Amino acid sequence: MNTILVRHKWEPYLWLLPSILLMTIFVVFPILIVFKLSVSEISKSGVVGGFIGLANFRAAVSDQTFGTVMMNTLYWVVSVVGISTLLGFIVAMVLNTRFHGRKVARSIVVFPWATSLVIQASIWNYIINFEYGNLNNVLLNLGIIQNAINWRVSYQVEFIWECGVGIFVTVPFVAFCVLAGLQSIDDAYYEAATVDGAGAWKKLTQVTIPLVRPALTVSTVLNIIYVFNSFPIIYTITKGAPANMTDTMVTYLYMLAFYDQQKGPATALSVIGFVILCVVAGLYMVISMRKEEQ
Amino acid sequence: MKKIVALFLTILLTVSCIGFAAAEDDITLDVIICQYGNNTTNWFTGTGINGKSFVQLFEEANPGIKLNLEVVSWNDVYTVVSTRISNGNAPDILNIDTFADYATEGLLLPVKDYCPEELYNDFFPAFIQQSVIDGTVWAVPDLASARAMYYNKDIFDEVGIQVPTTWAELQDACQSIKDFYNGDVYPWGMDMTTDEGQAAFSYYAWNNNGGFVDKDGNWALNSDANIDAVNFAVGLYQKGFTNPSPATQTRYDLQDMFGAGKMAMVITTNQLPTYLKEKGYSINYGTAALPHNDGAETGATGVMDRVMAFKDDSASDQAARNAAIGKFLTFFYSPEMYTGWVSMEGFLPAVSSAVSYLVKEDPSFETWLKVLDSCQFYPTAKAEWVDVKQGVIDVEQKALLGGDVKALLDDLQAKVTAK
Repeated sequence: MNTILVRHKWEPYLWLLPSILLMTIFVVFPILIVFKLSVSEISKSGVVGGFIGLANFRAAVSDQTFGTVMMNTLYWVVSVVGISTLLGFIVAMVLNTRFHGRKVARSIVVFPWATSLVIQASIWNYIINFEYGNLNNVLLNLGIIQNAINWRVSYQVEFIWECGVGIFVTVPFVAFCVLAGLQSIDDAYYEAATVDGAGAWKKLTQVTIPLVRPALTVSTVLNIIYVFNSFPIIYTITKGAPANMTDTMVTYLYMLAFYDQQKGPATALSVIGFVILCVVAGLYMVISMRKEEQ
Repeated sequence: MKKIVALFLTILLTVSCIGFAAAEDDITLDVIICQYGNNTTNWFTGTGINGKSFVQLFEEANPGIKLNLEVVSWNDVYTVVSTRISNGNAPDILNIDTFADYATEGLLLPVKDYCPEELYNDFFPAFIQQSVIDGTVWAVPDLASARAMYYNKDIFDEVGIQVPTTWAELQDACQSIKDFYNGDVYPWGMDMTTDEGQAAFSYYAWNNNGGFVDKDGNWALNSDANIDAVNFAVGLYQKGFTNPSPATQTRYDLQDMFGAGKMAMVITTNQLPTYLKEKGYSINYGTAALPHNDGAETGATGVMDRVMAFKDDSASDQAARNAAIGKFLTFFYSPEMYTGWVSMEGFLPAVSSAVSYLVKEDPSFETWLKVLDSCQFYPTAKAEWVDVKQGVIDVEQKALLGGDVKALLDDLQAKVTAK
């Protein structure tokens, strides 16, 4: 009996050990190194010098571009996560109903998410290209437009396209998280609601949404992290140009580190981004879990 | 059974140790080469030289020296190199464009420490001068390219205009082309992207008697000539003479538009013929000098990349390491290797021994070599060059959005000279 108890005590840790080791080597260590670098002097070539306090943070935050980039990041995360959560929920509701070809539809929906982001972004680059883009070709051939339209007429429009691509690739992830939640809802709840005289809207707000909330929480927290850290879409479509007007924090710190050779401020920005993410994702999780408990 | 397995493992371990001991006498050089085109990787590490690779041929010719050669794209090379330097793992030999930061931070070996004299004397002296800081040569040129204006002859014939030589003529030509094709053809190509916006700056500044530095070699970014030059360039965009997005459309986008007959004029490298051929474009085009402002001299832009060697204090035999680096360079610049490499990607050579070989193969090289003679190069030997390079791109992109060029260049000059 005792032996079994002892074995049960260490056995779970043994099974967790490989993951803990991997996480330590590939996640914890790099984070600690970045924290250390953010308070170190780093030369243009990349040679790491001594401790310089918060100078890197001051340099990063005092740059005029910082404000623009932070606002862009806010628009980017809120629009992509918000809109894709709404659309993903609707898609999940549709995929949860019974219709012919449901399996095929589910497979098609997963495509944008399963394809590499660089490929997605490059394809959209071609689609909206003014000179030889598919969008103009299709619209011209259908006679909907008479002259090719410049779909990238200003950086604001380019940024909207980037958000659009972000939403397009994020919707499937939300849809499948919510779909998993929807499938776990017992029909008995809906039957009980029908007996109580609830209509479609009441069923949605009183039964469906509360019961898929755990799935929505997971997808939203993960999406905030993924979208905040997303690099390929913006880097492929505009590279943050013109003059950082379409940069988000991640693309900006990359350009700062490897184009402008300002690695100190770039690592400071990484730390700021990490803290923001921890706070936002943590707050969201706490609030959602409290609601669940209620 | 266990004993047999243990014995087998012990033998295996011992044999592998002997193997390592034998290999220890070899010198292994870590080499990073930039990817210049589709053929670079195949030439260096694949089967690009009559079924063999450069690495294979080098190791056959130089027993005792192994190459750990990596071809890295231009997009990634800065990331790769600085990450390696941060981790204390700099390459032995690096091929890249900039060198001043590495040299001033004491990371490079002086060229005289490893480059054999005969080879050193073979480099064009004007090129070697581009890599000198405080009287020491820190890198050798690997190749060069010169920029020229290419124009679509058919478009010019159809519109009935002459090739412009001055800025005024350029504006007139652009207007005529714009009117004739009603916007279907872009008269003028402009690349102000983070990839190459500094080249655009030089095309206009150097053709208006301006430039990055003054006659004494001090930064002169906010000179009146430069302000006028950037205003002129942005004016071309504002009048609708250029491609629609100069801040995001790279040189390659412009070359594709030019190849497809959608662009009448573009300034680009002497590699354009190779590019058009590889992409299957067939258009009737000509080359001309870059248009200049009235009263200013024509200034051609030359771009040169380099090969440099990093210090490695951990190497047990420094003299042997230096000799191995010298052998690498001697082999790379030997006419059999070097002419194949330069002509494959359509570049211009950096050593005089290659010239006669190349001219024999393609007489048009001679014209380019003359252009190269009159070229101006970026002031890459100055430590602030990276800030200036990124700074002028930022100025151009902000000017495209309507920013005041004078205020932007004043800010940049103040920022650069304050360091």
